Amino acid sequence: MRDKQLDAGDLDMRVLRELTALRSFAPSRGFPDRVMARIRLPQPAAVVLFRRAGAWVMQPRRAVALATAYAASVVIAVRLAVPWLEAHAGALKLGVAWIGTQLSGWFDTVAMGAADWVVRSGAAEAVRAAASSGVVLPALAALTIGYAVGGYGFYALLRTPGRNDALARS
Amino acid sequence: MATAKDLRTLGDREVVALAKAGKEAAYRELLSRYERPVFSLIYRMVRDRALAEDLAQETFIKVLNALDTYRPEFKFSSWIFKIANNAAIDQLRKREVSTLSLDGAPGARTAEEVEATALQATDRGESPLAELEARELGSEIEQAIGKLRPEYRTAILLRHVEGRAYEEIAEVMDLPLGTVKTYIHRARLELREYLAHLRT
Repeated sequence: MRDKQLDAGDLDMRVLRELTALRSFAPSRGFPDRVMARIRLPQPAAVVLFRRAGAWVMQPRRAVALATAYAASVVIAVRLAVPWLEAHAGALKLGVAWIGTQLSGWFDTVAMGAADWVVRSGAAEAVRAAASSGVVLPALAALTIGYAVGGYGFYALLRTPGRNDALARS
Repeated sequence: MATAKDLRTLGDREVVALAKAGKEAAYRELLSRYERPVFSLIYRMVRDRALAEDLAQETFIKVLNALDTYRPEFKFSSWIFKIANNAAIDQLRKREVSTLSLDGAPGARTAEEVEATALQATDRGESPLAELEARELGSEIEQAIGKLRPEYRTAILLRHVEGRAYEEIAEVMDLPLGTVKTYIHRARLELREYLAHLRT
């Protein structure tokens, strides 16, 4: 063998050269995906806080304590509120009636303004003319179909991928 | 937003910062940078492909899930090699997988296992004779590396195969610089002894 005739100096040099030239090995295919599947990507602070709060609350003892405190606060509030409401029933009725009158007045004003605009602007005439020409029904039908198709498109785009999707891709 | 191409131009520290901000592409970039060096180091330490792959996977999971604890004053490569080396050393202590076999891992029983775990010799496009020599010498070197003590093996692999600086190897191995130099010197001497039969 020629290698066996190498002198010591040549061998030392060659050993070092071969060491630096040793090939690098690669793990099997899909290694990065297998690693990534077990990595917890950092979440936004708000999400982390919400999850921590949720986890804290969901511990059995704390959940029972919080539910008890909530029930107690409701009982106390009702116990205080009911007598107060009974004592001020007259004044409350008057207040509610006044608010109702005001709201009704505002609604009437807005409705009358809108009706006046429809008549004056000629929009009513335009709708009546369109209805008599037979354009409205096909337009409404096209609008409905377009809406349904658009809605399904959004659903298909935004839905969470399921197991079958993953299998189909692989 | 940095693309995969942009990420390749960034240093480790910048990529780690992007990963800490939750960019998945940055995690994948770190994986692609270090999967071969880390796997090669562990593979040459434990001499078993399946085991090396498990250890490399655990190394990356440990490192990438603990990026928040990474201190930028240290090199990222030192950190990941340190964890990889510790994983390999722990495994060697547990299982004593310390002998190199070009004919496969010590635990390989079937022909398929032997083939799957055997180390392959180099191929760098030399002339047939030179390639034959290189392959034989390469094989001898792989065998000789396998006979070294684990600490010597880590040091020599990081220095001469991965091309790391002495200071970085000291960081990886948690040893004083002088000790690392001694280890590498002794490893070279041992390699020469193991390969002495190649002399006339």
